[in-house]
Amino acid sequence: MVEAWVRGSAAELDAAIAEAAKLLAASRMPVITGLGTDVAGARAAITLAQRIGGIVDHMHSAALLHDLDVMRQAGMMVTTPNVARLRADLLLLVGPGLTQAWPELPERLLADGRRRVVWLCPGDAAEARALHNMVIVGRDPVELPILLAALRARCAGRPVAKTPIAANEIDALANDLTKAHFGVAVWSAAEFDELTIEMLCGLVKDLNDNTRFSGLPLAPPDNAAGVQQVSGWMTGFPMRTGFARGYWEHDPWRFDTARLIESGEADCAVWISAYGAHAPTWTRKLPLIALGADPDRKRSDVAIAVGLPRIDHAAVEYRSATGTLGAVDARQPTNRITVADVVTRISAATPKAAPC
Amino acid sequence: MLTRLAGGRVIDPANGRDAVGDVYIRDGRIVDAPSGGEADETHDVTGNIVLAGAIDIHSHIAGGNETLGRLMLPELRYALDVVHPGHLPQPAGAWNTFETGHLYAAMGFTTVVEPAVLPHNALQSHLELADIPIIDKAALTVLGNDDFLLNLLRGRESPDAVRDYVAWTLATSRGLGIKVINAGGAAAFKDNVRAFSLDDEVPGYGVSSRAIVKALQRAVHELGLPHPLHVHCNNLGLAGNVETALATIAAAEGLPLHLAHLQFYAYGKDGPRSFSSAAARLAEAVNSAKSVTVDVGQVMFGQTVTISSDVLRQFNARNSARPKKYVIFDGDANGGGIVPYEYRSNDFYNAVQWAAGLELFLLTNDPWRVFFTTDHPNGAPFTAYPDIFALLMDRELRTRWMATMPKEAMAVTTLPSITREYTWPEIATMTRAAPAKLLGLKDRGHLAAGGVADIAVYAPDPDKAKMFREAALVFKNGELVVRDGKVVRQSFGRAFDVRPDAERAIEHRMRDYYDQRYGLPLDFMSVPEAAIGRPDPFERVPCNT
Repeated sequence: MVEAWVRGSAAELDAAIAEAAKLLAASRMPVITGLGTDVAGARAAITLAQRIGGIVDHMHSAALLHDLDVMRQAGMMVTTPNVARLRADLLLLVGPGLTQAWPELPERLLADGRRRVVWLCPGDAAEARALHNMVIVGRDPVELPILLAALRARCAGRPVAKTPIAANEIDALANDLTKAHFGVAVWSAAEFDELTIEMLCGLVKDLNDNTRFSGLPLAPPDNAAGVQQVSGWMTGFPMRTGFARGYWEHDPWRFDTARLIESGEADCAVWISAYGAHAPTWTRKLPLIALGADPDRKRSDVAIAVGLPRIDHAAVEYRSATGTLGAVDARQPTNRITVADVVTRISAATPKAAPC
Repeated sequence: MLTRLAGGRVIDPANGRDAVGDVYIRDGRIVDAPSGGEADETHDVTGNIVLAGAIDIHSHIAGGNETLGRLMLPELRYALDVVHPGHLPQPAGAWNTFETGHLYAAMGFTTVVEPAVLPHNALQSHLELADIPIIDKAALTVLGNDDFLLNLLRGRESPDAVRDYVAWTLATSRGLGIKVINAGGAAAFKDNVRAFSLDDEVPGYGVSSRAIVKALQRAVHELGLPHPLHVHCNNLGLAGNVETALATIAAAEGLPLHLAHLQFYAYGKDGPRSFSSAAARLAEAVNSAKSVTVDVGQVMFGQTVTISSDVLRQFNARNSARPKKYVIFDGDANGGGIVPYEYRSNDFYNAVQWAAGLELFLLTNDPWRVFFTTDHPNGAPFTAYPDIFALLMDRELRTRWMATMPKEAMAVTTLPSITREYTWPEIATMTRAAPAKLLGLKDRGHLAAGGVADIAVYAPDPDKAKMFREAALVFKNGELVVRDGKVVRQSFGRAFDVRPDAERAIEHRMRDYYDQRYGLPLDFMSVPEAAIGRPDPFERVPCNT
């Protein structure tokens, strides 16, 4: 059973695929975006982009790029959720949004009560306190850059000017950090900018001059981290990479698909959101091929309903519990078509584009 | 269809053949010359060299650490364009999986081993291997910093338990063999240990690095794995570390043991800077230790990135990163470190490293036991191979290179005094016949009837590096995939694995262990064939009986 629509009317899958191929063949700058899909879907999408000279981007690229920018400017020290769980004697939770990014965090890292927990600027302190017995330093996330800078300075034995947080509080915390045997800092890149993350990662690096400390960045949803890995090995680059010239090029601004669409540069979009009913954020109208659990058939020229990875069909995806790609079986297998199948069929029906 | 390669110099050391003659291919295999009838297709290779496809036993081409490197260094491919201007604008750094397959094939390589697959990350490694076209692949599974093994050794459990665990891990991660990387060093680093040698003990376990290596060596041997335990020794890169390598060679005690990228352990403390090549001493030890095999890990000049699961070493090298950035990843067991590095020919230390690698190649006397690697990308990207072949085969070329390097660096090596030049049969042994034997690939690396028709044809050229960079013809499974250094057909190869026998009880024990220690179901680390996304992705290699 496949549900497909062409310009709002129910259609056979073959007709929808043919229409999608026609739109892509006519396009001079196609983008494949959203990319909320499993590893097989991402491999198929990148293969399609290579075939048609297209651009690949993920709906959570902005958050991915926060961490990535720090990694490629300065580097970082990172670890796995398992190591955090088994080794950490001090857990430094940083900023808001952590339990939203990883709902199992309390169960995996707090429940065993085997480590001290400090939360910097949690936003909602009441929620934090309800989770676990912990020290809370700072409250409003806007204080975070100053707090981290002050902490880094004090850990390095340098003086700091007056900050919104009491000096003795910062000194006590700096002392705790340097005394940890294996500390782990946890953050969610969706919540703050590159400079804040760089300050945090710099603090972690500095602490390793004398003790052990590492970082645990939490991944955005919709398999963003998994898709980024696939792009990394298939293209050599992360998201926001294009093949128009016959080889892969990466540029976070040039290949920002939302910008390309709003500016009128892109002239056809494939929107993939298999994990949920995310709709595209752009407002400009352009030929749209939408693949999702419940695609917007009114707005789309072609809409195809696809299965939910790990529910309708087995999938490989990034797993927060391990920080790795994992293979998961279907919870309730159905014969809903997968993103990989649809995109592979569109690929087969679309002529190879010549490089420009 | 019968294909004939006519009139080339056929060099097949596995079968003692070195003569002008023909090679025939039918249905993907090499066949004997038919008694009658014409070939459907004939390639005139008169004047060319015909070899089996080359096999690289140690090249970091796939896995989470490699992709971390790709993501961390988007600029690397552009930097490498300068080094290999012939490859503008792509494929530069051999950086994504597709380029990796194409560039290897263009050089006449048809099988490459990824030597560091972490069991918990094995699925990603295999997905990446599956996206490397043309060549066949294999994974070496990394053990030796994992809590389970260290616990077995701490508890003085029987060798049977270690053996079953090794067999189970190989089956789970679909490896061809076992690698140990700075045994115990990554575990010790989590306890803030900053230096770790062969007889140091892992804190909390009371188990020495030596005990880990010996236990794994024994298990690998008793399971009948074709590939010996593949060892990345302690103290990589440090002045004076030749003592560690010599001690590890001695620790082989007559049983098979493979030492990886030996060049990085060929350093003495002599000379004005207390850093010298000890390659001559090390080569002598290799020559005497007949059960030991080594690969070189040659250094070449230019920008590269070091990618290693030796977390401790990578951490200690962090401040020498060029450019100044690094990722250190404390994994569940080994983890990894990504430290970019530029080897410079005018740098004393880098010049000594370069010379030490060539000394190992040239002072060892058995191409069946010494293997051709750069530890890609650690000593150099594999795209530098053609230049290394040229250096091995041409002492004049070496002299010209040495003339550009610091004299005081050459003075602490023996390279200027070495006149040996590798012959074609030696190259064929080192890169074809010997690796097939070392990996247990009985139908690769040779050109006798029954062998898989993986064949590379080279057209002699005064520029030897060009000859190796652009093979005249390459056949994979009997199909023409490369002509004049250009890929003409993109096929997909398979990954070799082994499945030694193990007691089934280990499965229950592992299930309990992962439940209790990690709170995870065992299948989080599984590599289901269906998840690989290509038909028939694995090929089983039999164990010795």
